[in-house]
Amino acid sequence: MLHYFIDAFAMIGMSYFMGFLFYGFYRQFNARVQRRWGPSIFQNFFDNMKFLFKTETIIHGPMFFFGPMIIFAGAVTTVLFVPYLKDSIWLQGFSQSGNMILIVYLLVVGPLGNALAVGSSGNPFGVMGVTRGLTRLMGLEVPFLLGLALVMVQHETASVHAIMAAQPDFAHWNLVTNPLAFLVMILPFMASQHASPFDVVGAPVEVYAGPRVEFSGRLLGILMTQNMMMTVAKLVLIADLFLGGATTIWELIAKTFALFLLTAAISTSFPRLRTEQTVDFFWKIPLGLGVISVIATIWFPWS
Amino acid sequence: MLKLLFLSLALTPAATLFTWNGAVAWPLFDGITLLFDLTPLAAFFMALLAIGAPFVALPMLRGKSDEPTYALYAVLLLGMQLLLLAGDFIGFFIGWEMMTWSSYLLLLRSPRIDLEGAQSYILFNLASAFLLLAGMLFLYSITDDFRIQAIDGLLTPDKWALFTLFGLAFLIKVGALPLHLWVPRSYDQAPDVFSAFLSALMSKMGIYGLMLLPLLFPDGLSEISGRFLNGPVAGYVLAWIGVITSIIATFKAIAQEDMKRLLAYSSIAQVGYIVTALGVGSSLAIGGALFQALVHTLVKLLLFITIAGIILQTGHRRFTDLGQLISRMPISFFGVLIGIIGLAGMPPLPGFAAKYLMYIGLIDAHWLLLLAALILSSTASFVYCYKLIYGPFLGHANSPEAKIATEAPWHYLVPQILLMGMLVALGIFPGWAIEVLIDPVLIGLGMTPIGAPAWSVLATSYGGYDGIAVMGVFATIFVLITALFFLGRGRMHRATSSYDLSFCGEVPTAATPLHYGAGMGRELRRVPLIGWILRHTTINFYSGLMHQTQATAGMIGTLYGSNPQVWILFAVLIFALTLTVQMLTGA
Repeated sequence: MLHYFIDAFAMIGMSYFMGFLFYGFYRQFNARVQRRWGPSIFQNFFDNMKFLFKTETIIHGPMFFFGPMIIFAGAVTTVLFVPYLKDSIWLQGFSQSGNMILIVYLLVVGPLGNALAVGSSGNPFGVMGVTRGLTRLMGLEVPFLLGLALVMVQHETASVHAIMAAQPDFAHWNLVTNPLAFLVMILPFMASQHASPFDVVGAPVEVYAGPRVEFSGRLLGILMTQNMMMTVAKLVLIADLFLGGATTIWELIAKTFALFLLTAAISTSFPRLRTEQTVDFFWKIPLGLGVISVIATIWFPWS
Repeated sequence: MLKLLFLSLALTPAATLFTWNGAVAWPLFDGITLLFDLTPLAAFFMALLAIGAPFVALPMLRGKSDEPTYALYAVLLLGMQLLLLAGDFIGFFIGWEMMTWSSYLLLLRSPRIDLEGAQSYILFNLASAFLLLAGMLFLYSITDDFRIQAIDGLLTPDKWALFTLFGLAFLIKVGALPLHLWVPRSYDQAPDVFSAFLSALMSKMGIYGLMLLPLLFPDGLSEISGRFLNGPVAGYVLAWIGVITSIIATFKAIAQEDMKRLLAYSSIAQVGYIVTALGVGSSLAIGGALFQALVHTLVKLLLFITIAGIILQTGHRRFTDLGQLISRMPISFFGVLIGIIGLAGMPPLPGFAAKYLMYIGLIDAHWLLLLAALILSSTASFVYCYKLIYGPFLGHANSPEAKIATEAPWHYLVPQILLMGMLVALGIFPGWAIEVLIDPVLIGLGMTPIGAPAWSVLATSYGGYDGIAVMGVFATIFVLITALFFLGRGRMHRATSSYDLSFCGEVPTAATPLHYGAGMGRELRRVPLIGWILRHTTINFYSGLMHQTQATAGMIGTLYGSNPQVWILFAVLIFALTLTVQMLTGA
């Protein structure tokens, strides 16, 4: 029991720590690309703390308050169901009682809970943002899960542990043995991290619209925290599935950072697409590639 | 008194389920015997009926007693029990007809029914009944037997004919595209509570029928025309019918502006998943189909009864006319909330267990394109789920009635609360449902049971999950973070008015249209595929078919010109052609 508690706290702490450092790095990376100095790498941590210690928070009824709590609970549950290390008793959380499909579904539980809060705020621009988010989800989930399903078919299991164990060295990484699956899911994966060009516009633009438009103070802090943790959980999941998992914390950081860097590089290079363009893109390019890989790896006997 | 009698009648399926022992044979004339028995498969659907019938009956008891409705409902229940108990096609057909006619008469008692709705209901359901009749007579003509049992030694064309006849009969009942035309109309126009029965229970009779098909063909569907990857070819076709139905119905549901129509399309979509899983035919997929049938029954009972309560209290059924009911109808809000979580297949509620089994079934069969299509429709369903809860409960109240509505009467709330409890319990204990409800059916069908190491665990060869762990972790974190939030520094203020919004730097007033309910999903039309689907309707499909048929007929008609010489020429040509072909084939 005590082990579970320490382990859970370690996972939550680790996700938070990696989350703000990665996002801090992203801000600086973005700034350098745009020839600015950019803020310190700890800026996201400072911002987050500033929000979490605000004295005033405006709410619009009970559901508005519970939404961020649901999304936070969803994010932490996701973190605790992703195994962070392989061949270790640490940083496992409850991953033995879960599987890949469960994790993918847990990723969306929180956002849907928060959508209730946005709806109960009564701001039509917020709901517009939620609808855009759900529309984009509809686009990205199909190729994303198809890519993961190719891996599940390859290893005949949905258990993340078993898939990690089947990739002992570089030659057995799914990135190497099943590159098509990786290509199918990588762009939707970037979209699931709210990275440009597939992001949904947030609040801070000229005509502000988006899911966060009504949130302020500590609730905004909660939303920011869960976003950072969720990003790390997704990166770890993909590192587990395609990059062979990690045996040490440093290896984990290196692999997730490599994935994050890829996302960041693409995200700084391309401007945002409109939501329907995003969906159409996902249903044409990654899904088309997915269909090709299904035909190539499953239908034909040479596989 | 009458109401008590009615309520006890609604408990008869439960009584049948628990007290039935042994088969009954009822010799009729000429050596034809009616057989009645409760097979494990029928027992599963009887259990669904046993759960659903009293929940639908309870709201019907409200107000002045309505004897004809009660009587028809009793006949309907009798018919459905007869159909489930039947061991041969005669009893099955009698039950089927009783169900069709009594539900039609119940439908006619709605004040909102129009000619088109009534006609499409009865026409489609009669077509289904006659296809069933044709199928069973054809079966009798080949085997001299009406019993529902494995048939061997059939020729392949006969198998195909039987499969098509029965399949079409049941697919009409299920509402598969393009045979679904009667579903949205009748679910929409039926008395509000009765819609719950139509969607939750009567659509399941079609599923029961489809599940008899593997019984008739002992090697599942694979012996009809071989196998593809790890599943039957005939099943592959069935699975695509199911998944295309569910995709199109999901997008149609998103475009609806009426709560009951949205739920009707969502029923078509959800039952489409079941058809897909049945097509796979492996024990995992059939288990998933049964689980989905169970969850869909509970969810649709809950949602339709809750929506009926909202309509009763406000008199409105369109998303544009409602809004902000969350504080006035909190229990109904939770009813819809639990309902949509189940509908969307989110963990930790049991909808996820059903989805999980179906996904694993498809992955196990290596039918990944079907899987992708199923994921598309299941993710798209989030949008209409959100619309269903946003429209009535969140946002701004958009009509005077919505501003003063109160919570629904207890007749509606009791079923809601019980159903919510059942859904949550099933979410925590998916293994219980597998062990107690689903495995007996699988054993009865001669398949490998899925099995569950513990009541809370859903286990498959592909891995599983623990319901207690998921629910426990989520609830613990939720409580902890809420407690921490309250312990932390800082105050929370409730916004002074509901117009106190970040609204482009302006202050909205009561005249500003702030409720997004009706417009939600409209922008989806800009996605080419969705726009294409929403621009086309099934009615247009049928009229297009009609035009094509007429055009073809016209073209063939030109062959029969008024000139007799042309006829004779054709006759000679055909005669010569036949002779040539016969000569070439050596006949």
